[in-house]
Amino acid sequence: MPEATAVSIRQLSKSFDDVEVLRDVNLEVTPGEVVTILGASGSGKSTLLRCINWLEQPDRGSIHIAGQRIGLDDAGKRMGAKALARVRAQTGMVFQSFNLWPHLNVLHNVTEAPIHVMGKSKGEAQTHARELLEKVGLSDKAVAYPGTLSGGQKQRVAIARALAMQPEVMLFDEPTSALDPELVGEVLTVIKDLSAEGYTMVIVTHEMSFARAVSDQVVFLDKGIIVERADPETFFERPATERVQRFLERHG
Amino acid sequence: MNASAWQMLFDGAWTTLWISAVSIAIGVAAGLIVALIRLARIPVVDQILVLYVSLARATPLVTLALFIFLSAPTLGFGLDRSVAGILALTINTTAFNAEIWRSGFRNFSRDQREAAMATGMTPWITFRRIMLPQMVITSLPGLINEMSFLIKGSPAIAVIGVVDLTRVTNRISAVTYEPLPPILVACALYMAIIGVLVWLQRLAERRANRLAT
Repeated sequence: MPEATAVSIRQLSKSFDDVEVLRDVNLEVTPGEVVTILGASGSGKSTLLRCINWLEQPDRGSIHIAGQRIGLDDAGKRMGAKALARVRAQTGMVFQSFNLWPHLNVLHNVTEAPIHVMGKSKGEAQTHARELLEKVGLSDKAVAYPGTLSGGQKQRVAIARALAMQPEVMLFDEPTSALDPELVGEVLTVIKDLSAEGYTMVIVTHEMSFARAVSDQVVFLDKGIIVERADPETFFERPATERVQRFLERHG
Repeated sequence: MNASAWQMLFDGAWTTLWISAVSIAIGVAAGLIVALIRLARIPVVDQILVLYVSLARATPLVTLALFIFLSAPTLGFGLDRSVAGILALTINTTAFNAEIWRSGFRNFSRDQREAAMATGMTPWITFRRIMLPQMVITSLPGLINEMSFLIKGSPAIAVIGVVDLTRVTNRISAVTYEPLPPILVACALYMAIIGVLVWLQRLAERRANRLAT
């Protein structure tokens, strides 16, 4: 029943040239659930996340966002640009390197999509944006330009920008990997707050203690295959496979 | 030089200015359109545009102006000298501008485009709201540089009888037998016009650099 799930991934496979990066991946994310995807670099976890909003196109399999198929229509043909954009608007994404738009100030980075995609009025979008900036602790930076912000501040703006579209699911692609160590905490705190508020999230991360604290479900990818999925307690305390045991020893 | 010579010089400067301005305005916009069509990689159309860009960039302005002015009557319509001049300058500058715009596109941050698409923007909204405003800033130094090339190349249209700032100096010295004063004034006027563009270019570069950080 795809309608009951926020994200439903079925039999997903993807190759780059001759290298298979994802093989028959199945994953269900229920509303309100926080799923973290762990794995060594090159295991396919970022590719999996980027398939969810079709920034990467899988070779086989299907993905539904809140019951709507993304990328292909029901007949299996490629969606038009507008239809694809409509489904994408149901997802919010936070990138490793923030990817803010440097020509717009913080407030306009957050309001741009609500105004020009959802058709919100400027006033309505700005009111909502200011609430979101307060939530991520950046009310005082509304008129600052991205170039003047620290990495941690940029990433919090990026989170507010993604939230502004009121997505069904938030996707985080290694949100703290590009940050100086002392700035990691402020971003993780914001994400933890979101999980407490019941946001549905899929998070690719290397922060083990964070993954343990925030997840409802932990998924471990190795060479494009999900080798283990469990609640965080089981995953970190009693990993079932030797592969995960070795991974946890190295990253513990 | 007497008052009427000065008057002629300023008329010539005005001719150079307005013909260049019209050519620049059309050329910047048309260059963007050519760049956009080329990015869409439509078969045949793309090859035609590649041919156009390389021909237009390889043809000397004088030759192009003459060709347009002389071939128009054989095609069944006469062309006003100014219109033929504008056409020649525009055809030339559009080709260069198209390349400037195109490299602006190609160098545009993939990360920023992905961020736009991830929020649900269509390619058109992404172009209009995210890419174009930044591409204008990053391409402006190159575009302004091309504008000053156009102005410096504009005396070429004198060959079809447009009395521009260079041509007018000939006319004055034909009467006064003193070629030096009018040509000196013309140089000073060109330098003033180009000086404004150089100043604008410096401003544009500063803005572009600010965007890059």
